[in-house]
Amino acid sequence: MKKASMTRRLFLLSTGAAATGLIVGCSTAAAKDKGYSAIAGAFEPNSFIQITADNQVIFYLPSSEMGQGILDGLTTLIAEELRVQPTAIEVRQASLHEDYKNPEMGMQATGGSNATRAQFLPLRQAAADTAAAIRNAAAKQLDQPLDKITLADGQIMVDGKSYGFGEFVAVAALMSVPENSPLRRPEQFDQIGRERPRLDALAKSTGTAEFGIDAEVENLYRAVVVRSPVLGAALKSFDASAALEQSGVVNVVEIKSGVAVVAESYWQARKAAAVLELNWEKSELGLWSSDSIYNKFNETLNDSSQKGLECCDEGEGDKLLDQSATVVAADYYAPYLAHATMEPLNCTVEINGDACAIYLGTQNIQASAGAAVYYGDFDADKVKVHGAFLGGGFGRRGIGDDVAEAVLIAQQTGRNIQLVWSREDDMNNDFYRPAALVRMQAGVSEQGLIETWAVRRVGPNIMGYMLDEWVDALAPDYLNKGFIDWLSKLGQPIFNRFIADPSAADGIYADYDAPNKAVRHVTQDPGLRTGFWRSVGHSSNAFFKESFIDELAQRAGIDELQFRLANMQNNPRLIDATELVAAKAGWGKPLPEGHFHGLATHSSFGSAVAQIAEVSIKGTQIIVHKVTAAIHCGMVVNPGIVRDQVEGGIIYGLTAALHGEITLVDGVIQQSNFHNYPMLRMADAPEVEVHIVESQEHPQGVGEPGLPPLAPAVANAVFKASGQRLRDLPLRLG
Amino acid sequence: MINFQLNKNAVQVDIDPDTPLLWVVRDHFKLKGSKFGCGMGLCGACTMHVNGQAVRTCTLPISAVQGAVITSIEGLGTVDNLHPLQQAWVEHSVPQCGYCQSGQLMSASALLAKNPNPSDDDIEMAMNGNICRCGTYSKIKSAIKSVSKSASKSAIKSAIKSDAEAMRTQGSMVGTFDPASGTIISKEANS
Repeated sequence: MKKASMTRRLFLLSTGAAATGLIVGCSTAAAKDKGYSAIAGAFEPNSFIQITADNQVIFYLPSSEMGQGILDGLTTLIAEELRVQPTAIEVRQASLHEDYKNPEMGMQATGGSNATRAQFLPLRQAAADTAAAIRNAAAKQLDQPLDKITLADGQIMVDGKSYGFGEFVAVAALMSVPENSPLRRPEQFDQIGRERPRLDALAKSTGTAEFGIDAEVENLYRAVVVRSPVLGAALKSFDASAALEQSGVVNVVEIKSGVAVVAESYWQARKAAAVLELNWEKSELGLWSSDSIYNKFNETLNDSSQKGLECCDEGEGDKLLDQSATVVAADYYAPYLAHATMEPLNCTVEINGDACAIYLGTQNIQASAGAAVYYGDFDADKVKVHGAFLGGGFGRRGIGDDVAEAVLIAQQTGRNIQLVWSREDDMNNDFYRPAALVRMQAGVSEQGLIETWAVRRVGPNIMGYMLDEWVDALAPDYLNKGFIDWLSKLGQPIFNRFIADPSAADGIYADYDAPNKAVRHVTQDPGLRTGFWRSVGHSSNAFFKESFIDELAQRAGIDELQFRLANMQNNPRLIDATELVAAKAGWGKPLPEGHFHGLATHSSFGSAVAQIAEVSIKGTQIIVHKVTAAIHCGMVVNPGIVRDQVEGGIIYGLTAALHGEITLVDGVIQQSNFHNYPMLRMADAPEVEVHIVESQEHPQGVGEPGLPPLAPAVANAVFKASGQRLRDLPLRLG
Repeated sequence: MINFQLNKNAVQVDIDPDTPLLWVVRDHFKLKGSKFGCGMGLCGACTMHVNGQAVRTCTLPISAVQGAVITSIEGLGTVDNLHPLQQAWVEHSVPQCGYCQSGQLMSASALLAKNPNPSDDDIEMAMNGNICRCGTYSKIKSAIKSVSKSASKSAIKSAIKSDAEAMRTQGSMVGTFDPASGTIISKEANS
C-alpha cells in the first residue's frame, strides 16, 4: 500500500487541473532570504511566489486552512494579479519565516477573521510586482517595447504570439523586481468576486487531503496521555506496572500534564492507558462546581464595592441612567463552552540529533515551533513545523499544549511519536469559552432613543491563559527560562486587576448610538482555563446585547427592527445588512401558523451581520426552521465561501444556543463526548439563506461574524412564540 | 489471522482482535482517508462500507470483519475516477475543513446504493449519524439530491453491482454489524 508522506503531500485542487499540492518545503537549503527552499532555475521574486522554468506557479500560503477557505481566497488574490487561473497554481503551506507573519497580528498565525483583510493588498502587490517583472523580462528577452507585452491566462502575449512565463524566468531572475506596480482595479477583476468551486474541494472529497493526524514518519510510535480529571492538578504518584505488561507498550513516562503511554499502535496505547493507576493532588479548581461558580458570579455582580475594570466610559457614563423615561435592567448568563473540533488534537514529532520536526495542523505555526524550542530545548533554527490541513480550528489549535506534550514524550522516550488525543481528552482539556454573567441596563427616551447604556460583566478573562502558553512559546530563546516562566504568569494579574481583557467587552456596547455608555468588567475566575472560541467575546456579548435590545424595544412599544435602525444611525454597514435581511426574510409579513421571527444585528471583525430566525415551539422544544442572514463584509473574493462561512457560523452558533454547556462538579467536567455534548445534526439544521451586501470597500472578516447574532435571533423569536424571555444560554424553555 | 477484502483487495492482518477496523485501515494499511473523531460511533467520521452497509468503524473490532467486504473512501472513487457523489461534492463545494467528509460520503453512497431516489427524510435519516462541525449539512443534502436526480444512475448501479459482485465472490462467512445493538450478526454470505 502507498505510504503517506507529509513531506510530499499531493492533492488535486480541482478536476481537470494539473496536480497541485499543499506541500511543506522540507529542504533546509532555503532560497536566499526567502521563506521557501530554492528551486533550480526558478524565478523567486519574494517569499510568496516561485515560477519554475517549466511554467509552474507556486504560491506559499501564509495562513492555515481550517475550513474557512483561506487557501482558496489568498490563492485567488495571487491569480488575479498574476493573470493565471487559480486552479493552475500549486499551493504550498508556508514554513515559519518573518515574511509570512500576519501583517495585522505581527505573528505567523491564523485567527481573528483577518487574513483576507490583512493580505488583500500585500499579496496582490507581491503578485503584481511578479507579473511586472515577468513582463520586463519578456520585453528585454524579445527586444520588444513594454507596451506591446500583455499577460492573460497564464501566458505572455506579444504580437498575437503567446509564451509561457517559464520562458522568461531566467532573465527575470537577473533583473530587479519592480515595486509598487499598479494593482488591477475592481472593474478589471476576473478572479476576485467570481464564484467557483473551492480549490481544496477535490482533495477533501476523495480522502486525499492530509491532516495532522495523517502524518507518517519512519519508526513512528503512538502516544496517548492520561491527564488529571480536574484540569491542571499535579500528579502525586502513578503505577505503570499493569500498563507496561500490555501488548505493544514500549514506554510509560511522566510529562508535565500527566502520564504518557507509548505503544506500537494507537489502540494498544489507549488500552494500556486504561489500566494506569494514577493519584492526583487536590487543586483549587476541585473546589468549584457549576452551581457555586454561578453563585459566586452572582454575588460579585451584586457587590457594588467591587468596581472592576473600565472597558468603556463615554459621555456621562451611567450617571444619568435614572433620568430616562424608561429604565430597563436584566441579567444574562452564558456558560463555558468547548470547541469540539472534528479532528481531535494530535501532534507528530520526529527528532534527529539536535533537529526536531513537528507535523500538525495549527493556527499558530510560530507558537507551535516556539513550544518545541521551549519545552524541548532545541535551537530555534533546528525546529521545523510542517503545517497540514486543520480538521477544524475555531480558536483551539495553535495554543501549543499539544506540541509541548508531544515533544516531551518524544524526548523522554527517544522515539518518533504521534500523540493523539481522544474525544474525551479534547473535551476535558480544552481552553474553554469563558462563562459570563452580565447586568444590562439602559435608559430610553420617550422617542425610543437609547440615552444611557450600562453593562457590568462578571467572569474570567482569556488573555491571562493565552499569555501563559504563548509567552513560553514566543519569548526569545536567549532569555533565561525562569524569567520567561515568571513573565508568562504575569498575564493573569495584569488582566485580572489592571487592564480589561478586550474580549470581555467585545461588541457589547459599540453598535448603538447611545451618547452615554459605561461598561465595567469584574474578574471572577474559578481557575478553569479559557481561550478563543469562534468569535470570542462576541459569542456571548451579542446574545446579551441583542436580546436586551429587543427587551428595550418591547418596553418602548416600538417594532424591534425600527427601534434598532433608529438607534444605529452611526453604523451604516449594520443598517445596510439589517435592511437587506428584513427585506429578504419579509420582516413583519405573515408567517405560517405558529412560526415567529426574531431579529438580531451585530458587528464583529470588521463586518456587519443581521439575521432573522424563523422559530416555532413544540412543547418545550425550540424548532428553528430557517435563518435568513445578510452580511456586509466589504469586497468579496469568493461569494460561495462567504455564504458558507456565514452558514457555518449559524450552525456552530445554533449548536451552542440549543445544546452548548460545559459543566463542572467538584472541578470535574461532566461532558466527555458527543452523547453529552451534542452537536446539531442534519435533521435539526435549519434552512439557511445568506445575502451579501454589495460593496467596493476593503474586505473584512467572514469566518466568525456569522455566529454572534444567531443565539439572540433565536431567543428573540422564542420570546415571540412563547412569551418566555430566555436570558441564560443554552436556551431552554421552562 | 483475520482475512477480509479491502477496496477489492484480499488482505490479511495479524493484530489484537479487539483493534477497531478504523485503526487497522489507517495505521496498518496506511489508508488515511477515514478519520478518527469520537471513538464511540457518535460522529461518523470513520464510516466505511461493511458488506455494503455504512458502519462506524471506530467501534467495530477487526475480529468481526473476518471474511467481510470493506470499502473505505479510497475505494469509493479516486481523483481520476470520481464516484458521482464525489463529483457532486466538488461541484457544490461541500467541504469546509473537510475532516468529516469521507465519512459523510460513505454514508451518502451507502444510502444511494440502496435507495437511488431518497426523500429529504430518507437523506436526513441516513446522514444523521454524521456530524459536521463546520455546518455543511445543507450542501451535503443538495449534493446528494443532485446525484439522485442526475443522469448518473448508471454509475450508481455499477457501484452497487461491483459491491454485490465482491460479496458474491467472497462467498464465506460474513458478519454484519448492527449499529443499533452494537453486535455482529454472523450469517452465510450470498452463495
